[in-house]
Amino acid sequence: MIFESKIGFDAQRALAYYMGNKELFVAAKTNVGILKLALPHIFGFALLSMIILHFLIFTKFRNSTFVKVLLYTLFISQFFESFTPFLIINISEIFIYLKIISFFIFMGLIPIVLYLLFDSIAQIKFR
Amino acid sequence: MKFTIIKDLNQDSMMKPILSGLLFFTLLYLLSDFIVKYSNFGIFPHAIHATLFGNEEQFIDPINKASFLEFWHVEIFFIMMILFTLSTVYIRLSKASKSAIVIVNLMMMSAITSLISLPLAYFLSSDFINIYVATFFIWHILALISTLYSLKRLRYA
Repeated sequence: MIFESKIGFDAQRALAYYMGNKELFVAAKTNVGILKLALPHIFGFALLSMIILHFLIFTKFRNSTFVKVLLYTLFISQFFESFTPFLIINISEIFIYLKIISFFIFMGLIPIVLYLLFDSIAQIKFR
Repeated sequence: MKFTIIKDLNQDSMMKPILSGLLFFTLLYLLSDFIVKYSNFGIFPHAIHATLFGNEEQFIDPINKASFLEFWHVEIFFIMMILFTLSTVYIRLSKASKSAIVIVNLMMMSAITSLISLPLAYFLSSDFINIYVATFFIWHILALISTLYSLKRLRYA
């Protein structure tokens, strides 16, 4: 909800958030401004990922390839979610799609990890 | 944290990438913290003095009390989380060696001193800015060393 209201899921609106828009009186973001916004997310996301992922070790999914793919995808999407704004303002506006996609992947994978954990807990209970 | 009970962290195929990810992002956080503080709050005495008390020559207004307390409040939380997580991983990977315990203690004490000296500098005396700067650098450098050492142990041990 915060992402939608501040940045927006629409590419043009999200682009205006980073590149600025004179008609909407939105100032363009700077590298330092983006880093300031990203700073709490860098560690916060990493801690959240580590905490929920490491519980999977104690489940039956421990050695599954799916979980390993999940693990790497979560960290990679988290990296792009935090750092694509630098690519948007410094290299190309096309990276706005990477920003939105990585956000959805990151947000989508967390419920999947939680589902796997709940599933394992439920199976332990009824064994 | 349950990873503290896993026997060989650097041999565990699941725990290794998870902790590597956490340490990699911790490294990015520490480096970004330097840049963000340098450009906003300041990391050297004269810049911090200008932020806290303003500077007429440079037309800088002093930070207001509410903003300062909010900044301090966020700092306390993030430093606490970073240091507790990092020291847990570092002590575990260094097998609680004597040097690791010394580094963790120094890191914790310098971080606490930096957090305490900040409001003392704002409310009591600007001399505490120097203590803040010294301890800020000490805990950041020790945290960087611990992170890099932990990554090395995790990858190559």
